[in-house]
This record gives sequence, C-alpha cells and structure tokens, in this order.
Amino acid sequence: MSFITDKQTLDDLNILGKYKPGSMFNLFNTGQTAGGERLLEDMFRFPLSDADLINRRSRIFQFFRSHALTFPFDQDQLTQMESYLQDSGEHTLLETGLRVIRKLVSAWLLKDEPYAVMQAGLLATTAVLQTCQVLLDKLNIQDRQHPYFDQVAAVGDILNDSRLAWIKTEKEAIPLSFLHVIRYDHLLRKILKNELNIILSFIYHFDVCLAVNQVAIANELSFGVALPASRNRMEAANLRHPTIKKAVGNVLSLSENTNLIFLTGANMAGKSTLMKAFGITMYLAHMGFPVAAESLEFSVKDGIYTSINVPDNLNMGYSHFYAEVLRVKKIAEKVSQGENMIIIFDELFKGTNVKDAYEATLAVTEAFASYRCCFFMISTHIIEVAEALKTICHNIRFAYLPTVMSGNVPTYTYRLEQGVTSDRQGMMIIENEKILEILYSDQGLHPNT
Amino acid sequence: MLFTTDQQTTEDLNIFGKHGGDSIFTMFNHTSTRGGAAIMESMFHSPLSNHSLINKRSRIIQYFSATDSFPFDAVLFDIADQYLANTDERTKLSFEAGSFVKRLSNLVAEDPAYKFVYTGVTAMIEILSSLRSFTEKLALTQEASVKEDLDVITAYLRSSPFDSLPTGNRNGKLAYTELQEVDVLFRFRHRDIIKKLLQYIYHIDVYISVGKTAAHRGFTFPKALQKELHLLNLQGVYHPRLAAPVPNDFNLTPSGNVIFLTGANMAGKSTFMKSVGIAVYLAHMGFPVPADMMEFSVLDGIYTTINLPDNLGSGTSHFYAEVLRVKKVAKELALGKNLFVMFDELFRGTNVKDAYEATIAITTGFAEKKHSMFVISTHIIEAGETLSKRCENIRFSYLPTKMNGLSPEYTYTLKSGITADRHGMLIINNEGIIELLKKGKTQAK
Repeated sequence: MSFITDKQTLDDLNILGKYKPGSMFNLFNTGQTAGGERLLEDMFRFPLSDADLINRRSRIFQFFRSHALTFPFDQDQLTQMESYLQDSGEHTLLETGLRVIRKLVSAWLLKDEPYAVMQAGLLATTAVLQTCQVLLDKLNIQDRQHPYFDQVAAVGDILNDSRLAWIKTEKEAIPLSFLHVIRYDHLLRKILKNELNIILSFIYHFDVCLAVNQVAIANELSFGVALPASRNRMEAANLRHPTIKKAVGNVLSLSENTNLIFLTGANMAGKSTLMKAFGITMYLAHMGFPVAAESLEFSVKDGIYTSINVPDNLNMGYSHFYAEVLRVKKIAEKVSQGENMIIIFDELFKGTNVKDAYEATLAVTEAFASYRCCFFMISTHIIEVAEALKTICHNIRFAYLPTVMSGNVPTYTYRLEQGVTSDRQGMMIIENEKILEILYSDQGLHPNT
Repeated sequence: MLFTTDQQTTEDLNIFGKHGGDSIFTMFNHTSTRGGAAIMESMFHSPLSNHSLINKRSRIIQYFSATDSFPFDAVLFDIADQYLANTDERTKLSFEAGSFVKRLSNLVAEDPAYKFVYTGVTAMIEILSSLRSFTEKLALTQEASVKEDLDVITAYLRSSPFDSLPTGNRNGKLAYTELQEVDVLFRFRHRDIIKKLLQYIYHIDVYISVGKTAAHRGFTFPKALQKELHLLNLQGVYHPRLAAPVPNDFNLTPSGNVIFLTGANMAGKSTFMKSVGIAVYLAHMGFPVPADMMEFSVLDGIYTTINLPDNLGSGTSHFYAEVLRVKKVAKELALGKNLFVMFDELFRGTNVKDAYEATIAITTGFAEKKHSMFVISTHIIEAGETLSKRCENIRFSYLPTKMNGLSPEYTYTLKSGITADRHGMLIINNEGIIELLKKGKTQAK
C-alpha cells in the first residue's frame, strides 16, 4: 500500500519541485546522473509505508556514511552508454552483422558518423563495466545480512558472466576489430540487454545514495528508526526545519494517549515553521531519508495531510473559509475510513471571523482528537479555543511558542513550551507601530477644522 | 493634488484585473485606436481630485455618449503613429530624388523610403480632413466643456499651413515636391501640433467608448461636489460584474462618516464594499457609475483592504499585514488627507480579545477624522455595542440573512443596526464533517 498524500500537502511542505527554491527535492538533488535524478524523484513521489522497507533503505544510506566513497564513473561515458543501450532492437546475430557492415561501408563511402558513434558507445560501455567491477571490489560486501548485499551481488553475478569475460581484458585505446564489434554489439544490446539495464539502475542508485549521504553530512541530518504501526508513537529530539539556517530544535513526542499537539503562540512566533518542520520530518522519514533531528523514532503511518496555506479558490466561487471547510472535509473522510494519518492544521479557519473560527476549531479538533491512531498537530491564534479544549479532551498536549519582550520589542525563542500561551500582543503590535499616535497626532492641525 | 490609491485597492476592486479578465478597465475599454486605449489606461491610473475637472470630463462623456461610433477610420491611426514615430532626418525625401532618373528607377522597383513617406502622409491628410468635417459638425454644440477643447483644435486647423494642405491631382495622387514639403511639415516642423490633433482624436475615441458603455449598461453620471461638503450620496449602487446585482442606497456625511458593517459570511459584505469602492473610484475619474444616482464630495484618495494576501511565505502573519495596512492609512490620514477607507473583516488574524480591543481602538481613532469616510466590517458585534456608546458619528448597518429551514438565504439589502448572524458552524454542519468523524468512530468500534 502506498503512502497517502496530496498536492496541497506537498506544496505546504515544499517537498517536490526541481525548480522550486528550498524544496526538499532540491535539497537532496545533488547527484551526478540524470537517471539518479529520476530515481530520486520516484522516491520522493512514493514514500514507503512499511517499517522494514523504510529501515532497509535507511540502512543502505547509513552504510555510505561509514565508507568514504566517491562517484567513480565518467559522466560522458555514462551518457554514451545510456544512448547506446537505448538504441537496441530485436535482431539476430546475422542482422546485427549486416547492420554493422552497412554502417562501416557508409562510413567509408560517405564519411558519416553512425559507425564511429556505435563504436564509441561500445567502448564507453566497456569502460563503465570495468569501473563497475573496480567499485564492487572496493565495496567488498560479503555479509549476507547486509542491506546492500542483494543489489551488489546481483551486479557482481552479471559482471562475472563468462560471456563478459572479454571486458576485463579489453583496452580502451585499441580500436576493436570489425568482427569483435559485431559480436560484442550483439551481446550487449541484444542478449544481455536486461542485465545491462540492471547495472545502470545500480549505478543510478549508487549515485542517489552518495548524494543523500553528502546532503545528510552537510546539513547534519540523521536517520530515523521506523517502528511498526502498532506501536503508535513518535519521538523526535531536536527536530528542526531542514532548510532554515540556524533553526532552533525542539522535542516532539506523540503517542496513543497524547495524539494531538495543540499549538498556540503569537503571530510570528514560529508556529507555521514548527508545523512544517514536523511535516517534512515525517515525510522524509517515511522515505527512509535522513531527517533534521538529533534522533527520531516513529511508528509508520498510512499518510500525511496538511493544511497550512489553503489557497483561495475565488475562480470557483469559493470563499477562503469554504475552501478550508472542504479541505477539512476531505481529510475527515480519509480519517473516518480508518487510515492512520498524520494531520497538520495551521491556523484552522483563519478565513472567517474570529467567532466562527472559535466554534469551528473547537468542534473539529474535538472530533478529530478521538481518532487515537492518527497524530495531529493543530495550531490557532484563538487561544480561547485551547482553554475550552482543556476541559473536554485529555489526550491533547498543549504547547506554545513563547514571546519574550525585550523592552517594547517582541523577540521569539522558537522553543516549544508546555501549556497555552498567555501572550496577547495583538494590541502591543498596534502600539509598537504607533498607529493611534499617528491618528491623533494632527488633532487641531487639520486644514478643515 | 493627486487622487491617491495603491495596488492593494486596485486589486481589491479589480480595476485592472490580473489577467485582463473581468476587470473594470476592460468593461470600459472598447476604444478603436491604440492611442485611445493608452489614454483610457492613464485615466484609470490617475483619477482626478478636482471637482470642476471631474464634472467637465463627465459632461464631455455625456455629450459624446449620443455618438454611436468612432467617426474616423481606425486603421489610419496605426499607419500615422508608425509614420510619426520615425523622426530620423535621413528619412526625409531628398531633392535629387525628384530627378528623372530616380523616378524611372522608382517605376522599376519601388523605393521603400518613398513608400513609407507616401503612405504616412496620405493617412495623415485623410485623418486631418476627417477631423475637419468632424469639428465642423461639432461646432454647433452648446456644451461649453466640449467647445473649450474644440476651439483650440479648430484654431489649429484654420491656421497655416493646415488650412491649405495639398489635395493631390485628379486621382488624389500627390506630386513628389508636394509630398516632400508636407512630410517635413508633419514630421518635423509642426510635429507638436500634429501630436495634439491626434491626442484630441484619441480622447474623442475614449469619450465615445465610455459613453457607449454607460448607455449600454445603464450607468449614471455622478455629480462631483466641492471638497468642503464632505458628502457621499449613492442610490441604487450595485456591482457591475454581477449577473443579477441587488442595488443599495448608501450615504455618508460628517455627522455619520463611519459605517460599521456586520453580517454573516456570505451575506454580501465584500461585494457591497467593492461596489461602493468601484463607484467612488469611477466617479473620481469623471466616469459613469453603476448606480441610479450619485453625488459626492471630491476626496484625496481611496484605500481598501478587502482581500489582504497572507504573506506566510515571507514570514509576516496576517495580523501583522493588517496592522501595517492600518498604519499606512493612518499615516495618510495624519497628513490631513480626506480619504475613503474600507476594511473588510478588520483584525481577523488574531484572537477574539485582541481583535475586540484593536477594532474599538482603531475605529474610534478613525471616527475622529470627520472629513474622511470609512466602511469597516467585522463580526465582533460587541465592539459595535461599545462603539455606539463612545462615538456619535458611527452608523451601524448590516446585511441580513433569512433562514429557510437549514439553508441560509441572503437579501443583499442593507439595513441599519447590528446583526449577530454567523453561519460558519452551519456550513461545517451542512458539509457533515463532525457527523462523518463520529460515524467513522462508531464503525471502528
């Protein structure tokens, strides 16, 4: 079963998008090969929802951390090999021979390129396979329990195939004889076509692993441990937003008994950032990727939905409020079907007046909270809701991001604290901006009075 | 002094539109010429803040709204613009070009430089002759504001050399020397006058286009009053982009210059505010407005805050965005400007208590500015009660909701008073969200 999410969530958390600044895909997309990029995109599109698969992938990444590896392949050779292998068909040896002869003759007569291109492709492939062999020797994984063993062993078997024995002896510089070209070409492009594609995938995967590991080191990311869904808990130490410099870390924990974090705090205190950090961490963790936290243990969930920046859909005639209602409804449908979800609501119902928002947030939060197998993080600026919830639900953890006043200027610690904030600096911001002074400043100076 | 406004306001009122869609500008812009469209756009960008200028333009438009179509050949203006844009001295026709040899070679292959000048000059001559007959017809008018501009134009046309432009031979073809001479007149020597004449025609184009829109849509021409009266009187104002709009009456005076608007979410508060804003904006351009009757004292500017974008991406919260917006307006007010100010759902980005306090503080401050006009909508009716005790010049209006069983119905007609109508929970209940969650829970058990 695949991990459930949707476009709104991916946008909120800024997960995908090669050309979007600050997206998670962008953060990790530092590989060398186009094939690696495609593989990375697949991983991003389809997070896992099985604890074993997640841990296995994550352990492969971790293997790279303990070994100083570099990408040994030549980019040009790889590209040549890709296009060479793509250009293959179902031919018999005889047909291949005739095609090669035709190219050779036309190269003679017309001085055209197909023969040279083909020969170069063949040589590039040989070189890549040679490099691959060197890499395998360097990896030297003998332990059958090693998560990387299967993949490496599969490639090793192919390279050790007796039909490819010539690879090891062939020297790049010497032009291949005409008959050799026919034989090798037929072998690589027809007989061993699938095997060579396996090797290419291995190289792409190797590329991704290297890149992920480098990003992990550069950004001080660490790997989470996936637990079976039945454990129903998550715990993160020093959880940060991965793309914010000097981000402040926070401890977060959720379990069956406290499955909802109700977040309050002044505007600008960092509520949205914390929620995004939580969402991104859970998303990456479900991919088996490293996360921006000191440590992370989490029970695998079925999916994640967030509602952080719900777009107005004025073209469709919806008001902002109605757009939010529809979003909540969609999520409620999924939750009520019994899926174990991670749900993040930021500033629920901000598209309406404070009074409606108060009632609606209260009712919706209470109804959601009873789904103990889902984890929720809900924020609001309407602190009155938190006071009311305290008396109704007992599985809610109240937390807030504090504001510290230094003189008249609010500063923010971005460090989560227990309880409900009592900061009401709505009026204070107005006072700091000196709006009332401005309004009253010209009394008596008005030209018309 | 200029009439001031800002991008937030023009976006709220959809004056220009983001993708050229259903904006107010496109509603009026049916000009035939590109020059006309440019003038129309500059009128939209800079409304007037002088009542005599406004009334003058308004009367001219009214006068031309009787004209059914643009009395010039629109194609000629594209040629003329292109022709006049070329001020390169080297493109003048040279004297020796008139020589026999040149003429002979011109017969064989047409000289592009000659062709350029020829088509340009003939287009201009045709435009000028159309303008002459247009002004002759117009000379009978009694409308003073039309006559004012007309007299200037007629004077130009009667002065040398425009009174005796060559008309060409029997086939209407100009001789080479004539062409050479007129080209210099048009493009170089009397360039300024030519530009003025064209601008006049482009203005006519705008007036006819606006007048046609007014007649077609049944708009009325507002009456601009002196600044010192501080009045706004609107009857039957409606939103021009709605299929079946409900008109409303609305007036503001110094003794009641703040409207405190309440009403449920979909009762039409924003639409009402937008329609008033559009009327005020158009009125300051001297344009016709979607209303039955409008009188207004000229103001110095308009600021609305209806769809304030959240800039969550850039880190400022909605509340802070609102505060900065209020501050901007407060600064303008402190300069002694008379403004038309609208806030929709003031301070919705904070908690109930702060919103209550802030709404009272800011509205009281605004109410002191008796020469400006305010429309403020909110759901915090408690603020309304406090304000009614504190300030005398705040008037309370609401847009009512009638319940038809479980579904709310809206009349969209303004009433005086405060309403506590809210339907946020109703919408959530109608969508069945809470039931959905409860049902899922019982099934799981």
